[in-house]
Amino acid sequence: MINAYASRVWGFLKSFQLTIVLLALLMCLVLFCTLAQVEMGTQGAVNAYMRSFIVWNQPLLLRLPFPGGALVGLLLTLNLMAKTIDIKLSWQKSGMWLVHVGLVVLFAGEFVAGMMQVDTNLTVEVGQTVNFVQSYKQMELAVIDVTDPTWDEVYSVPDTLLAKGGAVTIPGTPITLNVKKFYANAELANLAPGALPSLATAGVGAGVSIVERPVVSADNEMNQTSAFVEPVAGGRSYGTWLVSVALGAPQSFTHEGHTYTLAMRLRRQYLPYAFTLKQFRHDVYPGTDIPKNFSSLVQVVNPSRNESREVLIYMNQPLRYEGKTFYQASFGKNDTLSVLSVVENPGWLLPYVSCVLVSLGLLVHFAIVLRRSLKRRQDKKEG
Amino acid sequence: MPNPPNSLHRPSLTPTTSAALLGAGLFFLGLGCSSERVSHYRVPKESASAPAPAPAMPPKPMGERTGEPSDVPPPPKPKGSLKWSLPKGWSELPGGGMRFATFKTPYAGKLEATVVVLPGPAGGELANVNRWRGQIALPALDEAGLAKARTTLKSKVGTVNVYDFTSDGQTKSRMVAGYVATPDGNTWFLKLTGDADPVAKAKADFMTILGSLHLD
Repeated sequence: MINAYASRVWGFLKSFQLTIVLLALLMCLVLFCTLAQVEMGTQGAVNAYMRSFIVWNQPLLLRLPFPGGALVGLLLTLNLMAKTIDIKLSWQKSGMWLVHVGLVVLFAGEFVAGMMQVDTNLTVEVGQTVNFVQSYKQMELAVIDVTDPTWDEVYSVPDTLLAKGGAVTIPGTPITLNVKKFYANAELANLAPGALPSLATAGVGAGVSIVERPVVSADNEMNQTSAFVEPVAGGRSYGTWLVSVALGAPQSFTHEGHTYTLAMRLRRQYLPYAFTLKQFRHDVYPGTDIPKNFSSLVQVVNPSRNESREVLIYMNQPLRYEGKTFYQASFGKNDTLSVLSVVENPGWLLPYVSCVLVSLGLLVHFAIVLRRSLKRRQDKKEG
Repeated sequence: MPNPPNSLHRPSLTPTTSAALLGAGLFFLGLGCSSERVSHYRVPKESASAPAPAPAMPPKPMGERTGEPSDVPPPPKPKGSLKWSLPKGWSELPGGGMRFATFKTPYAGKLEATVVVLPGPAGGELANVNRWRGQIALPALDEAGLAKARTTLKSKVGTVNVYDFTSDGQTKSRMVAGYVATPDGNTWFLKLTGDADPVAKAKADFMTILGSLHLD
């Protein structure tokens, strides 16, 4: 009984019909994802359509559920694997084997990228030294112990944790943050006369009104993530504070001689090395404003490797360093600010391996078919 | 007659393989949960390695310029509003959002004059001045450096502390800021920011505005 069931599943998995249906679904997903980028932005659309198992509640699909890219990719991978195993293991089929294995590696690469790739950016001005990268969209509430004159102890509470609400213990400190309200996106304004008082009882938030807004994901929009938090330490409450990306003013409180600042900001990842921007060049074609090249000359200082060297990062010539790839991505402030796109993808080599395997497989298959054809012609001549 | 090539053993989908596949899926899903922990970093003070100005928006593709860093701290509802007289050619635009007022200047170039009001000390003068300095990539000051950088101006509302900073970049950014605390407990920030040349042209007018400050 079980064997019969497994056999049916196996038959379904290796079927060519499944391949056709999955490829058709993939084509639809690519079309929907491309159209959705107008409203949702690149990352928003890719997450909603390509990196989800089921696409839910999308206007383009009349809000009906649709298999997402992750599910289609997973099934396609299983289908390919089943198909590969099903091909006879012989020299005549070795090319096809290589092609199929190459495709499986390609899908695995995309799966690893979808699950593990981290996209951040490094923004640095000429003369500045920066030792962190930051997210494009994700936020953090940084609770920073600024007491030490040399070092800052940074405790980063991710927005996803704040969104759950409740009490958040800050390990290594006596502080517990009670998250009273979280807004993924909000608009801050003057507290109008007669308006309800703010939830905040400390800091600048006491004079600010806050209105929840729908979450945005378009490339040129940013959520004004905000929250009301109450730090409690040693059984004492330090009041309720409004923390928001839209708040520029510094806010801090002191507990037992330690001063802690609260800052909602784009999520940072500190690096064990630092980049100093020595020069940014924005070259144009003579007599025009048409860009010819953008380049950043950076000094990479890594004390753990006892390393200090200059690197030129320019268009299509990224720096691969310590598992991250730094691309020249944008610029600003009258050509004194450089923005490097930073990609960390443990599976970055897989697409290259896949290309080599598929190319090799096609060449082998072509050689085998050519040999067979020539032999047939020779036999015909002789016969 | 040659033997046919050996066909590969064709495994069926057993409970063991299903469990392995499920386990792999759960492993990858589990990776997504690692971003929900409180992380701790010990980093050098930002004054030692000046903070990168966070772009107000994600970086645009090459060929498009990024905006200046956003600087719109929120105002409370001011009880006794600050008033000022504008020099010839200057006009006042509605504040909107978190900004109390914006001035339009008669000078060409990249230039902006804004008024922001916050309740209480709003984090303190040193922290705010260092925040402004960070925005034009200047290192932070200590209390002694702050006192050295400060000039004062008398107005009807009291002493206005004035700061004038220019960046070290190739294209210099400049910031002239007036900082005044009013008796109702609010702190007012009047800032003139932009490229160094237009700011230099507009500074005399801006100082006139600071000198004209009075309460409603």
